[in-house]
Amino acid sequence: MNRRTGERQFALALFLPALLLLVVTTTLPLVYLVWTSLQRIDLSMPWLTGFAGLANYAQLGGDARFWSSLGLTFVYTGSTVALQVAVGLGLALLVMQVKAGQGLLRVAAILPIVLAPVVAGLFWRSLVLAPDFGILDFLTRALGLGSYNWLGDPQLALVSVIAIHTWQWTPFAFLVLLASLAALPPDVYEAARLDRANAWQRFRHITLPLLRPAIVIVVILRMVTALSAFAAIFAATGGGPGSATEILNLYAYRLSFTELNLGYGAAVATVLLLITLAVSFGLFALRKAR
Amino acid sequence: MRVRNVLLLGGAALMMVVWTFPVLWGLLTSLKSERDVLAYPPSILFEPTLGNYADVLFGATTILPNLVSSVIVAGLTTALTMLFAIPAAYALSRLDLPLRKASGFYVLATQMLPPVGLVIPYFLILRRIGWTDTYQGLVLVYLTFALPFAVWLLVSYFEEIPREMEEAALLDRAGRLRALWHVILPQAKGGIAVTVIFVFLNSWNEFLFAVVLGGNTVRTVTVAMFNFISLEQTQWARLAAAAMAGMAPVIVLGLIAQKHIVKGLTVGAVKGGGRR
Repeated sequence: MNRRTGERQFALALFLPALLLLVVTTTLPLVYLVWTSLQRIDLSMPWLTGFAGLANYAQLGGDARFWSSLGLTFVYTGSTVALQVAVGLGLALLVMQVKAGQGLLRVAAILPIVLAPVVAGLFWRSLVLAPDFGILDFLTRALGLGSYNWLGDPQLALVSVIAIHTWQWTPFAFLVLLASLAALPPDVYEAARLDRANAWQRFRHITLPLLRPAIVIVVILRMVTALSAFAAIFAATGGGPGSATEILNLYAYRLSFTELNLGYGAAVATVLLLITLAVSFGLFALRKAR
Repeated sequence: MRVRNVLLLGGAALMMVVWTFPVLWGLLTSLKSERDVLAYPPSILFEPTLGNYADVLFGATTILPNLVSSVIVAGLTTALTMLFAIPAAYALSRLDLPLRKASGFYVLATQMLPPVGLVIPYFLILRRIGWTDTYQGLVLVYLTFALPFAVWLLVSYFEEIPREMEEAALLDRAGRLRALWHVILPQAKGGIAVTVIFVFLNSWNEFLFAVVLGGNTVRTVTVAMFNFISLEQTQWARLAAAAMAGMAPVIVLGLIAQKHIVKGLTVGAVKGGGRR
């Protein structure tokens, strides 16, 4: 046996256990998810269980709550990712100018990231946003802006859950972009400064193009996180009031485990799965093209 | 120039306040008596009490069993994940693995799956084989996010090790195993530690799988905290104490490993890993 085949067999022996485990724990359950979405499985009416073909998918078309949650998913994902990148990049550029205390800032940035999303949701719901109790209510009243029921009003609730997600994950974008900024070659800036480029021109024509790979990665990772967001919204609003913050994750959960309509819930989850895969592949193709 | 510096420092300080506020305020709230909690405007000066911690740790609403559950689930998940991920990452990063690109892409794709798409089939499967509310059931499900994440993070660390170091040891099959054990593992110690921390952290913080697939036997601390608010709607101080106690391990872990986490985030991000 020559060395090359030997190495290949060795590599396979090391890789196959993990591969098999992943196929069994992720891919097979997803096949079962799609199969479930073709069934009628309603645990509150178990006698009706049986193959339903595409009936669940046909039902989606006329389901206003589904279309609303699909729209909310796009709003939630789009706005949280855009905010994280914009705020994270702005803060990273700002912090690059601050010489002292960068270590302290990094520690502060770690806190939201290590917090369980369910705790982030609970803390915001009680300590920050609760009427007559939360600090934000106190602040808006002290500033003479009046009192708001942040999680009780449909539109404010959507703003609130977007704010919670942005609060928790902007540090991630900030830390990655700060590290990329710090790694940029300083001599390009010197050259630009000699050419009398102003701050905006330097940012627009030097910093931004050099940062593009890092920004693309941040966008990909943040989108995946936003598309699988669940616990913080669940803890803060439970998808409500009504279905005002019910993104697809929440809708699939409520259908499956509150209304016990698992077949239909599986159809909604399958749609979400397809969206996530399409977005991921699209972004990766974009990354390769650049 | 002065004004600009003041503005910059002000901006940085504001950012720190916003990021640390909920946790610090939670800590303060957890030390208040129920009477001080309800004071309006919120009080900053008050007589601190450890009564809430006594309640949530040793009282009727104890979360100690939940902390134990979380340690078991997160510990087992981390151990199993590393056992499978280290060899796989080594094969992906350093060896002539057949279909290497496709394999790497498959691992990456499994990392992006929305958890709600997995929790529905697992609910049905685990119910059928009697594994709901068991440690083996929950750990199996946790592998779905822990394993792909760990493989990708480790690959990025393994790739940084200079190739010459292992070339010498690469003579025969036994030599390769020895190279992994004696060259790669010691060199990647830091990366492995970061991976262990991240996997443990993500498992500790997980909520959706735990709330659907757990139960009275296996109830992790995140689920216990959530139940707290629905059961004891107005007892904010106790909720805060439970949350602080439940989050203390990950906050301490995060602060200790602070530098490594930043590096882990960036390495993982630059090479395409990283999640949550």
